[in-house]
Amino acid sequence: MSEGRGRAAATRRVGVLGAGTMGVGIAVVMARAGHEVLVRDIDDARVSSGLEQIERFFDRSVSIGKLEADKRDSILQRVGGTSQLEDLAACEVVVEAVFEDVELKAATFGALDSICSTETLFHTNTSTLSVTAIAAGSKHPERVIGTHYCNPAPLMKLVEVVRGRRTSEETYGATVELVEGLGKEIVTTADTPGFLVNLFLVPFENDCIRALEAGLGSVESIDTAVKLALRYPLGTFELLDVVGLDVHRAVSLSLYDQLKDPRFAPPPIVDRMISAGQLGRKTGEGFYSYDTKGVMGT
Amino acid sequence: MSAVAQDAAASVERVGVLGFGTIGAGVAHVAAGAGCSVTVLGTDGSHLDAGFARLDRFLARGVSAGDTSDAEASELRGRITGATDPSALAAAQLVIEAVSEELDAKHAVLSRVTSLLGPDALVATTTSTLSVTSLAAAVPDPARFGGLHFFDPAPLTRLVEVVAAEQSSPETLERLQAFVRRAGKTPVVVKDRPGFLVNRLLTPYLNQAVQALDDGVATAEDIDRSVRLGLGYPMGPLELLDLIGLDVHLRTTTAVYEQLLATPFTPPPMLERLVAAGRTGRKAGSGFFEHREEGQQ
Repeated sequence: MSEGRGRAAATRRVGVLGAGTMGVGIAVVMARAGHEVLVRDIDDARVSSGLEQIERFFDRSVSIGKLEADKRDSILQRVGGTSQLEDLAACEVVVEAVFEDVELKAATFGALDSICSTETLFHTNTSTLSVTAIAAGSKHPERVIGTHYCNPAPLMKLVEVVRGRRTSEETYGATVELVEGLGKEIVTTADTPGFLVNLFLVPFENDCIRALEAGLGSVESIDTAVKLALRYPLGTFELLDVVGLDVHRAVSLSLYDQLKDPRFAPPPIVDRMISAGQLGRKTGEGFYSYDTKGVMGT
Repeated sequence: MSAVAQDAAASVERVGVLGFGTIGAGVAHVAAGAGCSVTVLGTDGSHLDAGFARLDRFLARGVSAGDTSDAEASELRGRITGATDPSALAAAQLVIEAVSEELDAKHAVLSRVTSLLGPDALVATTTSTLSVTSLAAAVPDPARFGGLHFFDPAPLTRLVEVVAAEQSSPETLERLQAFVRRAGKTPVVVKDRPGFLVNRLLTPYLNQAVQALDDGVATAEDIDRSVRLGLGYPMGPLELLDLIGLDVHLRTTTAVYEQLLATPFTPPPMLERLVAAGRTGRKAGSGFFEHREEGQQ
């Protein structure tokens, strides 16, 4: 980090692992803040698809007047892609946003040990796994920390900074400085399942689904109650349709496995809906029906 | 809505309110705002004075905030009268019970008042924790009884839960919904289950936030910021508890727990500790956060 600190505008070389939705979103956030970004995925097709999405994001920012064209060009000049993990050797920060699997994530940091410098910060964007367990894959768990971005990362203000049991003060301090420099708001949490946002959201969603199953209300009446009485921005079933029932099930099960708290267990109707292909907006039907443009029907 | 129900709703011009505490004053305000003439039954003169003082403070805040004009506020206030004799409510077409949250107290006032009402009058309870079905048993015609669960502050919140007792007739539920709509609010019909719908969903979440704080997952500030920024909720769970009152929440969660015996409703130990220490939230000047200025008002 000493080299990076000396550079103008605190530009860092940031590696992003995984060119899926979260990886692309994090790459956008990093590039927009002035960092050099190298996106890595396992094959060229995924890398190009990720880079295209990043380009489209900034093109759209230009077309809606939020960004000047030459600013876009200079941002995109700082963004590159690779399928070779070795190319991340010069990165001062690596943000991992690969598939939500603890062994994969731990092995990824293990592989980076021999590639990156001894000062590289290892950030994991896990949403449901233990940062400590992921850090155990590295010989330098003190440099591993959770940075949980909310989806969509370019729009959502919040980043949960999660300290694993071995995360050092130095890593925490440098991470807070970096993430604040992205224009994000930070909450610091212990490495407990679900951190804060999913700890509160997931069981609430399951409670709403169970209330529906128990006939305490309809999809519409529960969403109305949540929006008008609690003033939440979306009804629970509207939100679940956006998130996707398959994603909700995976998150619920991961947290249930760790906590053994029945509120986190996905209710049976979730499995039924997934079997029926009713995953939410992306399949045109979930708790609500949508037309081809994803507009909610009646 | 059927034509019958619409006619019936239009015919609710005289509303009786039993009790003049926070909820009673709020319900009187809502009913008068809907254009009804309202009679509030209090235990004695000083009880009524305190209730009107509460109502006037609320109206004055609405005027100074620019929500209502002085003329509107005094017109609304002019539609509300106080009474200590139940016979003053005999002509009411809808009587809304809002006395203290105790089964015996509610039974007593309901049986005293409802025997005086006309054969078409509706009766509703604002209970948040008791069974509407068991309260229906206290009135002469349980088919014309249901729940109207308002959220505090009643004049400002947009949702009202219309609680269907086992005995409530479909027509009663339609008429209660029509009244809620006429007051400019949205009704949702819910079953008579512990916590109804909103508290059933909200209470475990609030308890969980208290437990997360006690477990050291994060600071109180960060717990609240996580849901405001990460989920877009208007308030964090801990500032919401300070607003509701920790003692009020403790009563709600205990009441629901006693009926369901379900772990998510178990009062968290930290909640009981703070209530025991008198840190009940904004009204006490201290809860999860310090509220020195509000507490002194």
